[in-house]
Amino acid sequence: MTASLAWLAWLLASLIILLSTRNPLLLVVFLSLLLALGIRLSAPPDRKRWLGQNLRFIGTMILLSALINFIFTHTGATRLFSLPKDWFLIGGPFTLESLVYGGINGLVISSLYLTFTLLNKALSIQQLTRLIPNAFYPLTLITTISLTFFPSIQERTRQIKEAQMIRGNPMEKLTDWIPILIPLMVTSLENAIQLSESMTARGFQANKGSRKPSAGLAILILATFLVFAGWVLSLFNYPLWISWGLYLIAAVSLALLLSAQSRAIQITHLHQDRWEKTDVFATSTFTLVFLVLLGLILGQKTAFLSYSPYPALAFPTLPPAAWLLGLVPGLPILLRPHDHRD
Amino acid sequence: MITATDLFFQYPQSASPILKGASFSIQPGSLTLIAGASGSGKSTLLRCFNGLVPHFTGGEIGGKLEVLGKDPIRLGPEQMAAWISLVFQEPETQFVYDQVDEEIAFALEQTGLPRSEMQARVDSACQFLGLDGLQSRRIATLSGGEKQRVAIAGALVTQPKILILDEPTSQLDPQGADEILRYILDLRQKLDLTILISEHRLERVLPYADRVAWLPGDGSVHEGPPQEILPLLEQVPPSVQIAKQLDLSPIPTRPEDFPRVQVNKSGPELTAGPNPAIFPVESLSATNLAVTLGNREILKQVSFRLGQGELLTLMGANGAGKTTLLRAVLGLVPSQGARMIMGEHIENASLNALIRQVAYLPQNPNDLLFADSVLDEMNVTLANHDLSLPPDEIQQHLARFGLSKLTAAYPRDLSVGERQRVALAAITIYDPPILFLDEPTRGLDYGSKRELVKLLKKWQKRDKSILVVTHDVEFAALLADTVLVLDQGQVAYHGAPGPLFTQSPVYQTQTAKIFPGTGWYRPADIDPAQISLSENG
Repeated sequence: MTASLAWLAWLLASLIILLSTRNPLLLVVFLSLLLALGIRLSAPPDRKRWLGQNLRFIGTMILLSALINFIFTHTGATRLFSLPKDWFLIGGPFTLESLVYGGINGLVISSLYLTFTLLNKALSIQQLTRLIPNAFYPLTLITTISLTFFPSIQERTRQIKEAQMIRGNPMEKLTDWIPILIPLMVTSLENAIQLSESMTARGFQANKGSRKPSAGLAILILATFLVFAGWVLSLFNYPLWISWGLYLIAAVSLALLLSAQSRAIQITHLHQDRWEKTDVFATSTFTLVFLVLLGLILGQKTAFLSYSPYPALAFPTLPPAAWLLGLVPGLPILLRPHDHRD
Repeated sequence: MITATDLFFQYPQSASPILKGASFSIQPGSLTLIAGASGSGKSTLLRCFNGLVPHFTGGEIGGKLEVLGKDPIRLGPEQMAAWISLVFQEPETQFVYDQVDEEIAFALEQTGLPRSEMQARVDSACQFLGLDGLQSRRIATLSGGEKQRVAIAGALVTQPKILILDEPTSQLDPQGADEILRYILDLRQKLDLTILISEHRLERVLPYADRVAWLPGDGSVHEGPPQEILPLLEQVPPSVQIAKQLDLSPIPTRPEDFPRVQVNKSGPELTAGPNPAIFPVESLSATNLAVTLGNREILKQVSFRLGQGELLTLMGANGAGKTTLLRAVLGLVPSQGARMIMGEHIENASLNALIRQVAYLPQNPNDLLFADSVLDEMNVTLANHDLSLPPDEIQQHLARFGLSKLTAAYPRDLSVGERQRVALAAITIYDPPILFLDEPTRGLDYGSKRELVKLLKKWQKRDKSILVVTHDVEFAALLADTVLVLDQGQVAYHGAPGPLFTQSPVYQTQTAKIFPGTGWYRPADIDPAQISLSENG
C-alpha cells in the first residue's frame, strides 16, 4: 500500500472510528494496531526508539487526561473521597468514573496523535502536497518550501546563537535574543528573495494558463448565494430536498470551477503514485468503512460503539462489529506498506 | 549568441548606474569567465541575460541586449528560462524540494512536460553530472560539491543553449572546485553549450576559459580572449602576476603553459614538521582531541599547538572536521582529549572564561552584525564583556581595520569585504590574545583578500596567535607560519607551509607549479635576477 489516496482514505476511516467511540476495549485494540503499524513503518534500527518514545507519550497522555478529569469533574457513583464543595473548581466528590473517563479521553487523544504521525511516516511531504489540486499550486509549493526550510532555519539559529555567545552575549535575558533574531530575520529574508529569484529564473509560473478570474469569482459568488438560500429556505420549513438540491448545485459548481482552473495550469509532477491492487483494495475498504460509519452516525445507530463509565462504572462489552472496526487501522500491515523512508 | 549595445542599468535608489555604455558580444559555444571586483556588476550583468534584471530587481535599463536573437528585457525571466539557465552562488538557497530528482525536475514541472520525458531528462542530467544513484537521496545528506552538481543538473534539464554560473566554486575545497569545473567542461563539449562563469578566484576558472569579460567597475565591459584582457586586469591570480612580472606575452592562463623557466637557484632544504622553536611560548594546544557526533567520528585524536604570535592555517576538504575542531576547542561540542590555553587546562572552563582569551569570526560574518552602526557593533561586544573603552581608543581600533570613515554606517549596507572587517573589528575590540577565523575569504575579491592578509599580519605583529580555516590555497600560502591539514577527521599534515605548498598535488600553489624545485610558493618569493627563460619555451 503506497498510494497517497489509499492513505488518505485510511486517515478518514481511522478518524471517524476514533471520534465515534469511547469504548476503551476498542480504543486499546485500535491503539495497539497503530503502534504495530508504526513499528512496521520505522527503519529497523529506529523501531525500538520509536516505540519507546510513543509508549512514553501515550502513558503521559493517559495519566494527564485521567488526572485532569479526576480533579475537575465531580460526577459518578463510586466516590473515592471528597473535598469541600466551596473550593473553587476542585471542590466536590472525586469519583472512579471520572478517573476512567479521563483515561479513555487520553486513549483517544493518543490515538489521534499516532494516526497523524503515521500518515506523516507513510507519506512524504511531496506526496501529501500533490493531493492539493493544481489550482492551488503556489500554495502547495509554499507548504513544501516552508516544511523543507524549517530544518535549515533551525541550523541557522544555532549558528547565529553560537556566534553571538562567543562574542560574549550571555543569553540570559529576553533582550539577549535580539542579536539572534535580527540576523536570522535578515538572512531568512535574503534567502527567501534568492529562492524566489531562482524559481523565477527556472520558469516558475511561466505556464499560468489563461485563467479568467472574473468568471471564477462569479461562480464563487453564485455558489455562496445558493448555500445561503438553501439554509434560509430550510429555516422557513420549505421541503428539505430544495435546500439539499441547492447545496448540491453549489458543490458541483465549485468542483467544476476547481477542475477547470486546475486544468488551465499545466503543471506535471516527476513522481506519481503507483497504484497496485492492494491500493485499490485498501482505498475501497477504507472508503466503505467511512461511508457506512457516517451513515450510521447520521442515522444515530452507533449504540454498539458507545460506552460511558457514568453513572456507575461497568465493564465494557465489544460486539463483533466493533472488533472489526478496531482492526481497521492495522489493515496496512497486511497489505505490506512500503519500506520506511528514512 | 549574446550582443549588448550601450547597455545601461541603474538599481532603484542607487546614486549611479552599475552598467553604463557596456557593448560586447559573447561567442556561441564559448566558455566566458566574468571577472571583476566585488560590486563591479558581475551578478547584475548575468541577471540581465535572462531578464531577472530588471523584471525581478526593478531599476532603469537602457541600450540594446539580444540573447539568442531575443530580447530578455521584453520577454522576462519566465520566458527566457526556456533557453537560458542560471545557477546561483549558494545552492542551498535555491533548492525548492528536499529530494535530488524532484529538485532537478522542478523547472520541467513548470512546463507541464509529460512524466516519461521528464524522467528521461532527469536521468540524463544525473548521468552527465555523476549523480547516478543519488536521485532518491535527501539533498541535506549530500556534500557541498554534490549539492552544486544537483543545482547544475536542475539548470540543464530544460536543455538550455546558455548556462550561467554565478561563483559556482566559492564554497568548495580545491578538489571539489576542480571536479565541478571538469564536469562543466565536459558538458560544454558534449552539449555544445555556451557557458558564462562569474568567479573571484580567477585561477580556478582561467585554465578552462577561452574568453574573459572584465568589468572594471566603471559600468563598462571588456570582452575578448584571455591573452587580450588579462593585461588590463589589476587584480589577478598569482600565475598572471608572475607572467606580468616576467613580461611574458601572451600571458599563459595555466601554470603548465608557462615557457620553461631556468632558475639559478637550488631548492632549500624543506623541513616538514612544526617548529616550536620559532614560537616558543604556547598560546593554545589540543592533545588527542576526539569528537563523535551520533555514530560518526568527526575528529580522531587530533593534536596541535598554536604559539604566541603564530599564524596557523587549518585546511582540508569539505567535511574534514575543520569547523568542528574550532568548536571543540571552545567546548561547543562534546570532545575527549586535553585542551589548554596559556598553559592552563580548559576542559572544564566555561565558555565565558574562554572567550576572554579567544575571539571567533564565523563563516558568515552577517551572523554577528545586527546593530545600527559600525560604532554600535563595537560597543555591543564591549558591553557583552562588561568593558568600556575611551572613544579615541575605539576610533584607533577602527582605524586599524580601515573603518574610520564608516563608523556611522549601517553594517549590513556595506560591501562583503567591509562587513568582514567590521565583524573582525567587533570581535577583537577587547584585544583577545587568540583569534579564530572560519573561511574568511568567502566572497572576497583579490583586493579585499589582500587587505585581510595585511590586517592579519598587523595583528600577528602584536604577538597575537591566529588560527585561520581556509580552502583558499593562495591565501593560506600568503599567511601561514604553520599549516595543519585534516583529512576525514585526522591530521594529514602538520608543519611548515613550504613542503605542502610546493609538493602536495592538492595544495601546490601556482608559483610552486611554475617554479618547481625552487622552494618558491608565493609571488613574493620570486627573485627575477635568478630566472632565465629558455628560448624554446
